[in-house]
Amino acid sequence: MKRKYTLIFLLLQVIVSAFIAIEKPSFYIPQNWPKPVYNFKRNPINTDVVTLGRVLFYDPLLSKDNSISCASCHSNYNAFTHVDHKLSHGIGDSIGTRNSPALMNLAWSSTFMWDGAINHLDMQALAPITHPGEMGESFTNVAEKLKKSKLYPTLFKTAFQDSIISGERTLKALSQFMLTLISANSKYDSVMNKQALFTEQENNGYRLFKKSCASCHQEPLFTSYAFKNNGLSVDPDLNDYGRMRITKLSKDSLKFKVPTLRNLTYSFPYMHDGRFKKLSEVMNHYVSGVQKSKTLSSELAEPIHLNDNEKVDIIAFLLTLSDKQFVFNPQFAFPKEILLKAAND
Amino acid sequence: MKKCLAGLILIFSFVTNIRGQNSNICLLKVTPVFGSTNLTLGKQYFFHNQKDSVAFEMVKYYISGIQLLLNSEIVWKDTSGFYLLDAENEKSYSIPLKIPENLIFNEINFLSGIDSTTNVSGAFGGDLDPTNGMYWTWQNGYINGKFEGKSNLCKSMDSSFELHLGGYQFPYNALQSVQLKLTSKKIIEVHLELEHFINNIDIAEKHHIMSPSNEAVLMSKAFSNSFKIAQ
Ligand code: HEC
Ligand code: HEC
Repeated sequence: MKRKYTLIFLLLQVIVSAFIAIEKPSFYIPQNWPKPVYNFKRNPINTDVVTLGRVLFYDPLLSKDNSISCASCHSNYNAFTHVDHKLSHGIGDSIGTRNSPALMNLAWSSTFMWDGAINHLDMQALAPITHPGEMGESFTNVAEKLKKSKLYPTLFKTAFQDSIISGERTLKALSQFMLTLISANSKYDSVMNKQALFTEQENNGYRLFKKSCASCHQEPLFTSYAFKNNGLSVDPDLNDYGRMRITKLSKDSLKFKVPTLRNLTYSFPYMHDGRFKKLSEVMNHYVSGVQKSKTLSSELAEPIHLNDNEKVDIIAFLLTLSDKQFVFNPQFAFPKEILLKAAND
Repeated sequence: MKKCLAGLILIFSFVTNIRGQNSNICLLKVTPVFGSTNLTLGKQYFFHNQKDSVAFEMVKYYISGIQLLLNSEIVWKDTSGFYLLDAENEKSYSIPLKIPENLIFNEINFLSGIDSTTNVSGAFGGDLDPTNGMYWTWQNGYINGKFEGKSNLCKSMDSSFELHLGGYQFPYNALQSVQLKLTSKKIIEVHLELEHFINNIDIAEKHHIMSPSNEAVLMSKAFSNSFKIAQ
């Protein structure tokens, strides 16, 4: 008899927690998307861990002088990139050498950074936290600061059942929050799910895009995650040769990771060094600015011919990839109910 | 319900007990030494007929993948993994190996660092936790060993050296394995001979190594060749 009740009780609990899970942000695979590459077995998604990760993401405690957080360079309203400057600023206003990429759909990515320097999402946060030009803090010290704070022992306890604060947990929590940043609600997605229709111009842009761009910017993620040289000239002040810095192989000179094209409305300026402010400049680059070099990608060896109308049509299509719901999702925003309350305590 | 659980616990502890009875602890002890003395951090050691000197401020490195062999055949593998040995903490020198009773072996193998799979599998805790300061940040990967200090041999501004050896990717994979023939077996005493290490690297010119490189690979070989069975 008793056992029956326990069973019913357990069942109820599963049902209730399923409902709660729907309410909170969590990980899901959008319709017709490939399998993610992130290994969830080593870090199973749990909404309390996601919340902890979100608080960490927005907390300047992670930087040496408590002045900048991850969100300083990856703002939610800009699809988690940094909008007003070309190159991201860090501690003491020193300028980083690269444009911060927009963060989204990270579970499908196997390498991180423009040159693939980071091999796993969990390890990504270490780079800005400890980089002297960015957050300038030692990770050991970050863990100490978290242990001493009023807020974190409780948040860790809620997330992990005990209040032990370790580097591993901190990194995995940040990953969990970032993994939930899924953008799959653009007009393009609605059209693919047969809930909306492209305009004639967008349709034409889509057709041209599939012909000239989709080999690298593959649907539905709009990137192949490959490293390619797309013909940008080298900025003599930065001398950034991309992937070659990591592999030390000359065949990788000037190759950068193909970025997604989702949310371009929010993520300007464009390219690894933020050299283009507008999509029209990007289109001009592909049509008439591609620099020939040994490592130029074969897809771009033949010039792309597009007239002015066609360029505008492609831009109209690219704008259908913007996902307002993603950018303004309150579940991804500054966790004021937690961080402001902690600041006032 | 409760009774069931208690029963389970009983059975479980019984099973583990049986297994416990058949196993034995063999202690692997790896001590950093200079010349004939155990290393003390900060202490100045003279060598080359007293002409040169060196003082270490940090000696910290990983050992992993421990295996015991009998006539070149693996007879036991360590499953618990990764050990951070730190001269600041002598306790870290001792690694208890839980081996079956009556196991016979005459060789030990281990890696002086972290394998490439672990390097690309995300965050780990314990000895691998990145708060231990053994993980490269801007460029990923574990640091297999850190050796820092001062020596008159170094042509650096303040005679200092900082050797952070690591790298798991082609062409600069620095991971080395160590193979040592054994004489005794209840306690395996190994020395990390730092004088041998210093004598086999170009510390005069290559006093700061902070990322994977050809030099880091060469130094890693010298490092792994400096493990010797204590005489
Ligand atoms: C000072 C600005 C700055 C701060 C602060 C910052 N980032 Fe970044 N982030 C960047 C830049 C710039 C890049 C790209 C660097 C490169 O490619 O070399 C980047 C790249 C990334 C990427 C890789 C995205 C991809 O698709 O490759 C992730 C993930 C990320 N950051 C997460 C974080 C997290 C988490 C934090 C907080 C712990 C953080 N960032 C703090 C500037 C910043
Ligand atoms: C050979 C592969 C390739 C092809 C083909 C290609 N791209 Fe790219 N694209 C890239 C790479 C690589 C980058 C990043 C380059 C960098 O920053 O150094 C990029 C960057 C971009 C960006 C900037 C995104 C951002 O967030 O900064 C846009 C926009 C873009 N491409 C649009 C297009 C369009 C439109 C086409 C077709 C006309 C196209 N691409 C064809 C490889 C390609």
